[in-house]
Amino acid sequence: MVLLAVYNYCQYWIDLLLADAMSGLLHGQLSTSRLLGLGMAVAGTLAFVTRVLSRLTIFNAGRYAEYELRTALLHHLHRLGPSFYRRMSTGDIMSRVTNDLQQVRGLLGFGVLNLFNTSFGLVSALAVMLKFSVPLTLASLAPLPLLLLVMRYYSKRLYLRQRENQDCLGALGGVVQSSIAGVRVVRAFALEESELHSFERSNQSYLDKGLVLAKLRGSMWPVMQAITMIGVLVVFWYGGRLIVQGQFKAEQFLSFYRALFRLTWPLAALGFLVSVVQRGRAGYARLRDIFDAQPDVVGGVQLPEVIRGHLEVRHLTFAYGAEPVLRDVSLEVQPGERVAIVGRTGAGKSTLGALLSRLHTTPPGSVFLDGVDVCELPLATLRASVLYNQQLPFLFSTTVGRNIAYSLEHPETDAGERAIAHAAREAQIKDEIDALPEGFDTVVGERGVQLSGGQKQRVALARALLAQPKVLVLDDPLSAVDARTETALLDALDRERDGRSLLLITHRVSAAARCDRVIVLDHGRVVETGRHEQLARAGGTYSRFVEEQRRERELAKLDEFTAPPAPLREAVEAE
Amino acid sequence: MSRAKALPASRTARVLEAFHEESALGKAYDWQLLRRLWPYVRPYRSMIYLSLGMGVLTAASSLLQPLFMRYLLDEGALAGNLSRLGTGAFYLAILILIERVLSFFQVYSVQLAGAKAMADLRRTLFQFLHELPLGFFDRTPVGRLVSRITNDTDAILELFASGALNAFSDLLRLLGIVIFMLALDWRLALIAFLAGPPVTLMVQAVRPRARAAFREIRGKTSRMNANMAEQVNGMTTVQAFGQQRAAAAEFDDINTGYRDAIVRSIKYEAVQDAAIDMVASLCLAFMVIAIGYHSASYGTLVAFNAYVLRFFEPIAALAQRYTLLQSAMAGAERVFGLLDTEERDALAEVPAPDGDPALCVSFENVSFGYKPNVPVLSDVSFGVRRGEKVAIVGATGAGKTTVASLLLRLYPVNTGVVRIFGKDVRGFERRELRRHFAMVPQDVQLFPGTIATNIAASETPDLVRVDAALRRIGAEDLFRSRPGGLQAVVDERGENFSAGERQLIAFARALYRDAQIIVLDEATASIDSNTEARMQHAMEELLEGRTALIIAHRLSTIQAADRILSFHQGRLVESGSHAELLAKGGLYAKLHGLHFGAAAESA
Repeated sequence: MVLLAVYNYCQYWIDLLLADAMSGLLHGQLSTSRLLGLGMAVAGTLAFVTRVLSRLTIFNAGRYAEYELRTALLHHLHRLGPSFYRRMSTGDIMSRVTNDLQQVRGLLGFGVLNLFNTSFGLVSALAVMLKFSVPLTLASLAPLPLLLLVMRYYSKRLYLRQRENQDCLGALGGVVQSSIAGVRVVRAFALEESELHSFERSNQSYLDKGLVLAKLRGSMWPVMQAITMIGVLVVFWYGGRLIVQGQFKAEQFLSFYRALFRLTWPLAALGFLVSVVQRGRAGYARLRDIFDAQPDVVGGVQLPEVIRGHLEVRHLTFAYGAEPVLRDVSLEVQPGERVAIVGRTGAGKSTLGALLSRLHTTPPGSVFLDGVDVCELPLATLRASVLYNQQLPFLFSTTVGRNIAYSLEHPETDAGERAIAHAAREAQIKDEIDALPEGFDTVVGERGVQLSGGQKQRVALARALLAQPKVLVLDDPLSAVDARTETALLDALDRERDGRSLLLITHRVSAAARCDRVIVLDHGRVVETGRHEQLARAGGTYSRFVEEQRRERELAKLDEFTAPPAPLREAVEAE
Repeated sequence: MSRAKALPASRTARVLEAFHEESALGKAYDWQLLRRLWPYVRPYRSMIYLSLGMGVLTAASSLLQPLFMRYLLDEGALAGNLSRLGTGAFYLAILILIERVLSFFQVYSVQLAGAKAMADLRRTLFQFLHELPLGFFDRTPVGRLVSRITNDTDAILELFASGALNAFSDLLRLLGIVIFMLALDWRLALIAFLAGPPVTLMVQAVRPRARAAFREIRGKTSRMNANMAEQVNGMTTVQAFGQQRAAAAEFDDINTGYRDAIVRSIKYEAVQDAAIDMVASLCLAFMVIAIGYHSASYGTLVAFNAYVLRFFEPIAALAQRYTLLQSAMAGAERVFGLLDTEERDALAEVPAPDGDPALCVSFENVSFGYKPNVPVLSDVSFGVRRGEKVAIVGATGAGKTTVASLLLRLYPVNTGVVRIFGKDVRGFERRELRRHFAMVPQDVQLFPGTIATNIAASETPDLVRVDAALRRIGAEDLFRSRPGGLQAVVDERGENFSAGERQLIAFARALYRDAQIIVLDEATASIDSNTEARMQHAMEELLEGRTALIIAHRLSTIQAADRILSFHQGRLVESGSHAELLAKGGLYAKLHGLHFGAAAESA
């Protein structure tokens, strides 16, 4: 701020020196003007230094604030629980984190700089101008309100059109994406023509939007400059007349001209500033929506001595809305025991699984790990002990190897790589990874090579195995694998037991059959508990499952017959 | 996830570096690439010429303005001549108007040409992609191809939008300014130029660093947003594994890098802007000092001031422009790199001699593998007569789906011949070949549009036929009852339709197509019994009177087929009707026995 004041004072100083020098020049006192010229050079240099410094301090402050804000946002997002993420979609969050944050930064950097710069500039330039000629000042400033309005108009339009343009580009990308993802169908049906048609429509609309934007951008500067030039013209013509009439000193002309120029841009920026402030405030309000969200899952402080993996659920009732998803669920898992949780879609299996490691808002006094309420445990301890592997696996956009090694500190050591390979082998995915273009170094995820649903599931399973939790909760890890792979996976889970408790959420009777105990959930209630053989004969819900799944098993048996490992493409098709 | 901080030169970091190639930049000018770009710009070259012409005119009108300022002051105001003052102001106004109006057309016409050329390039790319063989898509990430068509062409557009093509008129302008100043007063001009070298040196010193900073900002921005989006998307995973700290550290790496790059660019920009600001002041100061020794007219000084301001305008934009140029060239390089892919889908080849025309479909000693040395099909031979319904059975990976792919020539066979109607499929033009087929894939892909456009597989569906197809498979009520009926919108990837509904749409699509040969890859997913019955009915209607190859998973389908081909590890091991194969006591009978054994055990 001080720097800006000094900068603008320097400019004021230069103008006055210039006027004096000009007077010397016009009146033949050349020696004084030389001295004054020297003074101008000094003032000019000083102005340079202050200008650089003022920009650095203000813009940098804006950028550092942006950095801090972004870090704080991510930190907060990490702490927020599922109720927040159900309320706000990823797209919405991202739009706030990118667009709105940018608007706030605009307010902090550009906004603050210009606010001060404009006010100081206004004072310094007006001081010069008014000192020399009041009527000329008024006349030359006449077009400036127009400039302000025009700037506001453009600033608003530009912002809207830019967003529109971005949306259009996104839509175009979507068309290409779906066309390429469905390329087999396109080929098989010879749909190239019609695909090209729909592409052309998006392409054309993106072109149109782009041209509208180009027109707006292209006309902005000429229009604005034309308006400022009106002021210049006024200075020359009206100023010239005033000189002729002796009401304005010729030597002050150049200084006046410079001052007007200095005034023009800050004022034009003021037009921008109004929208920058408006958008910045709106953006800030939208960021507040995130910051104000309270984390609904907060860790406790009780540190257990040793975790054995005894899990108990006592009278757990849970609802997302009004209707409970789980009603009075009680169950117990002994250390090292394998328990299957079976039920139809919507029976509450996944909700139960997620509640165990507090990925949802577990009610206090309902889930106990080794006798301690999980709500009393620090989150880090709880989640290192109880790992919930979700049904729809999420892989990060990095290499397959790193995805598997997600919980490893040092994945690129010999031991780390051995562990990765081992986990992959146990998860029955190693051969398929080896068949990928770059093996374990193949980048997967959103933008990488697309894995099939079954492959993703098994990579996620390898990741979960590698984490070596005391209690492993696997949510339907077998839904997209064939029967033969299922058997191999279950064998591997047996091998990897090592005193680990296993909760296997599944709808497959064949998988449940291999567990020590089966718990059947129906409409949020535990309806049956017992061994597979026992329940299969009991004639209840579980028996019906067994019956229903017979047809599937027919095929499963067919496929089980000595199948060679599937090549990549086949597996991709199976998705 | 890469933890670049802990392991600065980790292998994964390098892999990812190579993967995020988008941030790489090319040379600023690469004539080879510009030459390849020209055919796309050529149709709009008149726009470019127009822009260049306008550039010369605007430069001229801009250069003349200070002269009139001088005239206005010296001859008008200082001489006390009001009429000269008036004419001077009048011409000045005209010149300003001309310059502004023309400069709009100068900028806009070049952008128009660029945008249109890029739209053409995008279309070319899209068409090109659909000519590549499927094998190409098996190994190339979809996202990368999308960004070729969207981001890279946009980067090239910057070539036009950034005014890089105005460099010519800018150069002309700079030259003009120097000449005009020298002509006005060469001694004063030389003095004014004195301030030039130090500032030029400063700008020169800053520029490469500014460029590097800009480049880094571009790369970091996209990675930062991608990383954040991914963390938000995978929040449950991050939390379930308790990896918040590692995730935050990873993000902080990118965030810090981004901030530092921005801060650097701010510094360079500030120095550059201020330098230009200062040089204007210094020039003026020098001239004032110089006039102390060598008098010049007041108007000349004003004109010089105006020239000096005009001189530095284009220089200020240079650093940023240069980066945009580099990224445009990098984009062009990637785009043309893709266009250089030489593989083509289903190239016309010399076909094998015709076979038995009575066979609708025939495989003769066909061997195939997606990768060398990994055979998927070995020496497969079979024939399907007109109207016959053949089921293909076998375990996952036995090569069932591959049979269908080869039939449509989605992949070329390694050895052997695939024929339809007795003719080698290699002898067909690919579209003509595929017209004979209707395919019902296992995983039905819906396209953005409506139910009707998806069934007709065309932008202009024949609604009567769509209706007829749906009615025939008995699914009309199911879709009619949706809001919007047949015009109900299909979301991206058809996420608003259930698996069963998608399957039915695929049946209707095949029926609408009215092809002679149906290739049906039966879905494995279990569906409720109501839908199951619908599907059964729909399939019967679809297959009625047509030749069909069914990759079968359900026993009911298998039993209904005229003939069964049993595959095992890429070989056709048995062929015959259900009863025949059972009697034969081979692989199929064994599988079937296993099935009944299992049923008995669980009952």
